[in-house]
Amino acid sequence: MKRVPWMAAALCLLLVIGVFVGISMGPAELDFSRLLSAVTGQGDDAAMTLVWDLRLPRVVAALVAGACLGVAGFLLQTSTRNPLGDPQLFGLGGGAAVVQALAIAGIVGRGTWGLYTLSVIASLVGAAIITFFASRRGVSAARLALIGVSLSALTAAIGTGALAGARVFSQQSLNFVGGSLANRGWPDVMPALPFLGLGLVAAVPVLRNLSVLALGDQVAANLGAEPGRTRAVAVASSGILGGTAVAIAGMVGFVGLLVPHVARLLVGHDVRTSFIMSVLLGAAVLLFADQVSRLAFMPSEVPAGMITALLGAPLMIYVARRVQWN
Amino acid sequence: MELTLQGISFVRHDKAVLSDVSATVPARGLTCLLGTNGAGKTTLLRVVSGELKPTSGRYFIDSTDASALSRKELARHFAVIPQNAPIPPYLTVREMVGLGRFKPRGSPKWRVSGQDRAKVDASLSRCRVEGLGDRRLDEVSGGEQRRAWLAFGLVSDKYFLVLDETLDGMDVFGKRTFFELLKDIASRDKSIVLASHDLDLVNEFADKIIVLVGGRVVFEGPPDSDLQKLLGSSPESAYIIPDKGK
Repeated sequence: MKRVPWMAAALCLLLVIGVFVGISMGPAELDFSRLLSAVTGQGDDAAMTLVWDLRLPRVVAALVAGACLGVAGFLLQTSTRNPLGDPQLFGLGGGAAVVQALAIAGIVGRGTWGLYTLSVIASLVGAAIITFFASRRGVSAARLALIGVSLSALTAAIGTGALAGARVFSQQSLNFVGGSLANRGWPDVMPALPFLGLGLVAAVPVLRNLSVLALGDQVAANLGAEPGRTRAVAVASSGILGGTAVAIAGMVGFVGLLVPHVARLLVGHDVRTSFIMSVLLGAAVLLFADQVSRLAFMPSEVPAGMITALLGAPLMIYVARRVQWN
Repeated sequence: MELTLQGISFVRHDKAVLSDVSATVPARGLTCLLGTNGAGKTTLLRVVSGELKPTSGRYFIDSTDASALSRKELARHFAVIPQNAPIPPYLTVREMVGLGRFKPRGSPKWRVSGQDRAKVDASLSRCRVEGLGDRRLDEVSGGEQRRAWLAFGLVSDKYFLVLDETLDGMDVFGKRTFFELLKDIASRDKSIVLASHDLDLVNEFADKIIVLVGGRVVFEGPPDSDLQKLLGSSPESAYIIPDKGK
């Protein structure tokens, strides 16, 4: 499609604008010359701290979590042929959420690397359950979504139970439940990068096969596309990315569900192109949602997940009207 | 290339779905597989395309033992259009047909090659859906969807084209047009195997007919005016022969 490069360029421009807003605006004033000095590494201590230690890691956290959610949703939707594919809705993020809730409640340790690893493992358990049911004959898209929603509700109940049992109702637990990027520093962000890389690298080799999964398992298998293996790899990647997103940003809703649909509406069905668009669009959506969440009510903040839900719900209704499901 | 089935049997849940099926699908032409619901047509096609392994028996593509080939290797020979072929959301007719160019071990090319594009255009045109390339698959009529699937089967350049009850649900005019199209394609360079219930159309257009009753071959040969008489000896023929079904 001819407009793909334009769309990609427009999204990249949006990302640049989002990054600029993310590091230049906030409750603490920073004029352009101080910002420029800080960006080039020659600013005063306050400006350097503001840009490099407070704002930039948060921007990177939003980019990484958004990209994770966009791709995780894309892989779930494509591999299960389910328009409701979303790491949160299908319960993949739920496993990670239980781990995070247990950590906030002080039941498991909070060393960041270990916590990321545990979140990803828990999310992979959800991925294995979804892969098992998605590969069974006669499990319709609606039934798979119901299984996912049940898994999601179960894990949400366990997570809430852990927080309630430990009597933890801190700002941190509210941020986690609402989905927020507040106070993310480099130690919170750095462990996410290898998991993002791992999820993407695992998914890329099966993108070609994913393209023919839309035609059903039987046709895909007759073309030699190994639907079972392809789906297992795609959902596992989705699990890695979904677990990572929860570990960074908590329970941010709608990004994983909505981004792949919008990406396909923008650039068409080609799996490789819409995969890249899901990376860029996911990152852009969460980055801008986070800017709104921290700037709209300065100096107070609202969770970024609230902004994605406010934008996502009406947009999803629009997308649902545009797209006719199988 | 000729497809030869030798004593194919398939047992599911202790029930014989196919029993000692032996038949030959000629190298060129339209071969129709007739039978009632549950006669084993779909199972036979799934065995031949490698989706199911036969319980016993073998089948050959020329002299190659195809029953020993992996599904990926079989995919080089068979383009299969299943019963109730799905209508993927988002896809245009051209995009869907283009997916037929998929190769399991192809290079991870980013763009569709000019050769692939030309093949897609040729297939669309050959199946008389060239004007629908940019329409979404779920927006075109049922008959056009089936012709688009036929174009999908053709675009892959595989020798055998296998269609499983693709015409179910079409009106009589649509079916006739589709049969004419199949006949035209098969007369040039393909071997087409079609599972069908339509005895009259099959008798009119097929080059060869194989009739399955209860998982067994009861007739194999060219269209025959005596076919109805022959089938009359089977209690299940009421489902195959329209007049007897009434």
